Amino acid sequence: MDTEWPRWEVFKQDTPNKPHQAVGSVHAADPQHALLTARNVFARRPQAVSMWVVRAEDVFSVTKEELLEANHEPQATGHKPQAFAAFRKTSHKRSMTFVDYVGEVEAASPEEALQKAQATFTDAEALAWWLVPAAKIVKSDPSPETIESWFAPAKDKTYKQQQYYATVGSHVSKHKGGRGVEDERSGEECASC
Amino acid sequence: MPVKYGVPSDPDYNERLAEFEARIHRGEKIEPGDWMPEEYRRQLIRMISQHAHSEVVGMLPEGAWITRAPTLKRKMILVAKVQDEAGHGQYLYHAAETLGVSREAMLEALLAGKAKYSSIFNYPTLTWADIGTIGWLVDGAAIKNQTMLAACSYGPYSRAMVRICAEETFHHKQGKEMVLLYAKGTPKQRQMAQDAINRWWWPALMMMGPHDKDSPNTEILTRWGIKTKSNDTVRQEFINEHAPEILEAGLTIPDPELRYDEKSGNWLHGPINWDEFWQVVGGNGPMNKERLEARRRAHAEGAWVREALEAYAAKQHKTAVAV
Repeated sequence: MDTEWPRWEVFKQDTPNKPHQAVGSVHAADPQHALLTARNVFARRPQAVSMWVVRAEDVFSVTKEELLEANHEPQATGHKPQAFAAFRKTSHKRSMTFVDYVGEVEAASPEEALQKAQATFTDAEALAWWLVPAAKIVKSDPSPETIESWFAPAKDKTYKQQQYYATVGSHVSKHKGGRGVEDERSGEECASC
Repeated sequence: MPVKYGVPSDPDYNERLAEFEARIHRGEKIEPGDWMPEEYRRQLIRMISQHAHSEVVGMLPEGAWITRAPTLKRKMILVAKVQDEAGHGQYLYHAAETLGVSREAMLEALLAGKAKYSSIFNYPTLTWADIGTIGWLVDGAAIKNQTMLAACSYGPYSRAMVRICAEETFHHKQGKEMVLLYAKGTPKQRQMAQDAINRWWWPALMMMGPHDKDSPNTEILTRWGIKTKSNDTVRQEFINEHAPEILEAGLTIPDPELRYDEKSGNWLHGPINWDEFWQVVGGNGPMNKERLEARRRAHAEGAWVREALEAYAAKQHKTAVAV
């Protein structure tokens, strides 16, 4: 049975100075539903000021390996040039995000957009590219009221941070060599624990 | 996105496999669109979907206590934690989808009782102290595994794990704090905490799965950088951290053979009851039927919400087309 809603790729911006970054995807029936779901799934913690969603089928994606293997030469499409948002991944380092937004290029096709992005954003080697028609990106409302109501509440929920929980106990070395079944309470507290 | 899954009968399989393994060896991440062995894909789908289901089913034992939390603070913490588990399920379903399996197919397998999830969630939560103990021991065990998987070779799985670990640490801490408080509390509170530790200790040790010698997938999973540590290694890390902390708190551990080994620096445990483990995995645990029933009921009772969302989306679309 095919009842699955379309998949939307989600981009989250942590602070105004940082780029939007791909964080994962959600399934949703329409763009507003996708944004709301994205907010509930990916912004339960502080550090968000904006979210974008785009239908997964509108994302043109290539990895470095694919670039080496296949021909991605732009074909004449007869389409009018439009703005494409370019996203790029540059590091294999451990991360919770995939590609970062780097800017826009004008192109008549995703392949041409890729070519232009490669020529424009040359400051680092790309391990993967995503090209998305800019007009297809649905953005969260940038007004301060919306940012406040969507993202500020998470900031007050300090109990979601591990630092909120101080824990105390006696020093570990006390129990080394002892048997696990002993039931001896220790009144000592260790400042460093 | 053209995805290439190689099988041994491909003429260039060995050559490509060597390149693939060299990439993993160099610490590169394999991304959707890159060549990968079909067996790598199959193992990842198996692991990630089981993991996703575990997050989703894992909401049930704890969700049952939201209405009975002793204070508003504890209730807010528990609500946030259960919300996190729902989110973690979503991160993981997303990671599995990048391998070409649909979210719908995974959910159907769960509801049909065909999919596996962590056996720990088939045990009941009998008292409020179970909530703290689940955070401390069950999430503590999960974090050990998840920290290992955060280093895995498949990009989307690794990223989901990094995100999950960052949030899961709060689950672990709030649970530890709660149990330590009860351990210092009234005799009744101490007894409640002890009873919970007694019931959850062994199932927590079983969470890392069978011993290495009984874990046939480990070799290939390690070779391909999906797992970077064996089940027994992760289990030992868990015991080495938690055993002394439980004892520090003045609580006991229900293993008469548990002892600290000076030579290896490890806390050695007695034999694990694997018969019980396989019984629970096989569907005969204390709560298997109830968990599945609860998932099915939630899915059925949410049908009208899905219908309403679809109707609204269709109406928006119609209006947009008309304009």
